[in-house]
Amino acid sequence: MSVQEYLEKHLLSRKIEEAVNAAVRAKAPDPVLFIAGHMRRAAPAVITRVRARQILDGHGAPAVEVELHTNKAIHRASAAGSGALEGAAADAAGAAERRKILAKVVADSVRMINDKVSEALVGMDPQEQSQIDQAIMDLNKARHKAELGVGANAMLAVSIAACKAGAAEKEVPLYKHIANLVGKSATTLPVPAITVINGGKHAGNGLPIQEIMILPIGAKNFEEAMQMGSETYHHLKDVILEKYGSDSCNIGDHGGFAPNISSISEGLDLVIAAIERAGYNGRIKLAIDVAATDFCTGKKYDLEFKSTKKSGQNFKTADDMIEIYSQLCSEYPLVSIEQPFDKDDWEHSKKLTTLELCQVAGDDLLMSDPERIKRAVNEYTCNALVLKANQVGTVTEAIEVVKQAKDAHWGVMVSHRSGDTEDSFIADLAVGASAGQIKAGAPCRGECLTNYNQLLRIEGELGSEGVYAGENWRTVNTS
Amino acid sequence: MAATIQSVKARQIFDSRGNPTVEVDVFCSDGTFARAAVPSGASTGVYEALELRDGGSDYLGKGVSKAVNNVNSVIGPALIGKDPTAQTEIDNFMVQQLDGTKNEWGWCKQKLGANAILAVSLAVCKAGASIKRIPLYQHIANLAGNKQLVLPVPAFNVINGGSHAGNKLAMQEFMILPTGAASFKEAMKMGVEVYHHLKSVIKKKYGQDATNVGDEGGFAPNIQENKEGLELLKTAIEKAGYTGKVVIGMDVAASEFYSDKDQTYDLNFKEENNDGSQKISGDSLKNVYKSFVSEYPIVSIEDPFDQDDWVHYAKMTEEIGEQVQIVGDDLLVTNPTRVAKAIKEKSCNALLLKVNQIGSVTESIEAVKMSKRAGWGVMTSHRSGETEDTFIADLAVGLSTGQIKTGAPCRSERLAKYNQLLRIEEELGAIAVYAGAKFRAPVEPY
Repeated sequence: MSVQEYLEKHLLSRKIEEAVNAAVRAKAPDPVLFIAGHMRRAAPAVITRVRARQILDGHGAPAVEVELHTNKAIHRASAAGSGALEGAAADAAGAAERRKILAKVVADSVRMINDKVSEALVGMDPQEQSQIDQAIMDLNKARHKAELGVGANAMLAVSIAACKAGAAEKEVPLYKHIANLVGKSATTLPVPAITVINGGKHAGNGLPIQEIMILPIGAKNFEEAMQMGSETYHHLKDVILEKYGSDSCNIGDHGGFAPNISSISEGLDLVIAAIERAGYNGRIKLAIDVAATDFCTGKKYDLEFKSTKKSGQNFKTADDMIEIYSQLCSEYPLVSIEQPFDKDDWEHSKKLTTLELCQVAGDDLLMSDPERIKRAVNEYTCNALVLKANQVGTVTEAIEVVKQAKDAHWGVMVSHRSGDTEDSFIADLAVGASAGQIKAGAPCRGECLTNYNQLLRIEGELGSEGVYAGENWRTVNTS
Repeated sequence: MAATIQSVKARQIFDSRGNPTVEVDVFCSDGTFARAAVPSGASTGVYEALELRDGGSDYLGKGVSKAVNNVNSVIGPALIGKDPTAQTEIDNFMVQQLDGTKNEWGWCKQKLGANAILAVSLAVCKAGASIKRIPLYQHIANLAGNKQLVLPVPAFNVINGGSHAGNKLAMQEFMILPTGAASFKEAMKMGVEVYHHLKSVIKKKYGQDATNVGDEGGFAPNIQENKEGLELLKTAIEKAGYTGKVVIGMDVAASEFYSDKDQTYDLNFKEENNDGSQKISGDSLKNVYKSFVSEYPIVSIEDPFDQDDWVHYAKMTEEIGEQVQIVGDDLLVTNPTRVAKAIKEKSCNALLLKVNQIGSVTESIEAVKMSKRAGWGVMTSHRSGETEDTFIADLAVGLSTGQIKTGAPCRSERLAKYNQLLRIEEELGAIAVYAGAKFRAPVEPY
């Protein structure tokens, strides 16, 4: 190829002239830098490589990190590791065995991304999120057929990295890119559901439910919500210290305290005391994540499942549980109950939802699965979705289920996973999808704070355009 | 035309304990963007550079809006037009001219706040690396004149006591160091496995309660005696199969339980109705350490005495310093003047490098160079309040400190640093060198 042919093929002279003219029009203080930027934007981004490695999540467990390379930049994402192990087989395994399984799943995922995924995505435009996600889904289906093991989390990391690359190419923030993918221009800062007390399977106390959360619905913006949340958290630490001693001030998997309590009321009373001390009465509401599947045996719920000396008084029927929840909703400013029944108990979840006492959020019941959501909408089984992106598998699928929930006038709570990393994608997702709610743990532990900090940056960036969900936390952007 | 600083903007974000901290964004004329956030400590030494907090009732007095304002209104405007690759000039300008406050130990950053100055210093350093199109660790190595990069041995904080935890344990931290690993990646594998074995041992012995974690991801079982902590570690290392390959370090933080009045150390200081029966002299405490060292594979003891107890530091270093690294944290606070004094008096033989104790990248590098020229070890360190910023990982590699202490393999503000070191090792490929058993002196002084 001759010099002249090369210049003509790439229209180089014209492109350079256009860039020079643009610099002159703009009277750029540094024309060389301006021209370089202009030329860079003129070239469309294309995926050149996808590379994965094993890193460690917030629990020190293996997780997948992905670097998606375009001809212009490298975009990185990671996704929670341990969520990959849900299922009967994983449940039966001991802790050491689970770690071995996880390490193997992650290693397999790393190889697959470096090989098949990279091959499938090279050449694609990172702005075409749905096409990229479709390719990922196709590979995942083939993978499942070949029984190569679960890999939803790893695939999600690829999808998120592509989403970041798409945002960069469009020169918009990630949350705006997500809003565009959703098809709406509005963005909303979510009400944080802040974990303050941990119980359930992973905490050492007798509290049967998994989490107690506070929602600063009465804050005027996200920054104030975090001020309210962090102050209340610190006051709670003092309350617990005074009442239970310093042993109880260490933290659980999501950064909450695990004081030596055994009843839900006891936990809620502690939180109310902390809110009062912080001076936020009436402006902070409460939520609980029951994770009832963990203590359901047959059709009964064992509120003492963690106790070695059972009184026999706490084996409850599902109707008993409805009575308990009703009582709690009347005695406390309890506005959201997540997973109040076993994941297969559609009947009683519907009964509770029908009472319209509070938001009833489906987690295990729905698993962010479109078919289950559709059924739940039709049967009025719950009225909110807990969105865990890695249960769906790709950004596109996550957006679809948000739309599905919003179309049904449901609330949407974007949620972190046990075993998150320092990636803050869910913060941008919550804003871009106008979820209205985000559950990212306590104002403690880096994997939780990384999301809250990102929301502070987003709110700062939006300035007067920023709208905090506040009282509209359940109804933001429903059509 | 070289890229210059176009704007500097600060904001308040949260650290890993839910306390406010300063984050700074630096934008340059070539489109370069860099961001950094500063850590903060729970057990701070009195000689540390001043961390400016708002006081009052908001955020329980820990707000940093004044420090943020100092960046946005004072430092930021003054740096516009400057070259971010000129780290020393920028740091000196901020420290000596914009702030200018001084005490007997050097520049104390009392006017603008060390948290304000450091956040800018770190962000400028990152911007400088981007502009030069080299990795941050390489940029730091160049600034220091270090020609040989080394991956540090991680010192995992796995058992917490002292002011970082709710148990009665006086000593602040017990750490495991995989000195026998062949690479950083293998060191992480060893550390994670021992950590999880330790979790199982603690759960069995103390109940599930005891597997909740402290500020830095370590466990805080309700043990009554310091030696019990060492026994737990020994058991966990054995169960993981790494005896001889994973050794032990301690961070005592003795200033926390020192009584200046009668010059004693109270090993029972966390007991409320304390009868003082466990108060001992500096000499007795030294003997406690020596007995630990003779019985367990302890290779490092940090802050064994009060920050002003120079005498006992010197005795300890003289008696077992060859065998055990004696690390100065509160004693030195990463301050070159105090480092110089400690070198002269042979008070310790390792520096704990905490960038926010001194408040700028340039001064941190100076303290490290002095230490290395004196034949000391250097342990790069996190603080108990961290963010997802990974600067100290690149710092440890760039300065070839040989050691890094950034918590347990738990909590992502800790894992973020370890993950960054995994990336760096992968990036270096065949030329990557892990400090291993040479962690105290991995490279020649530079």
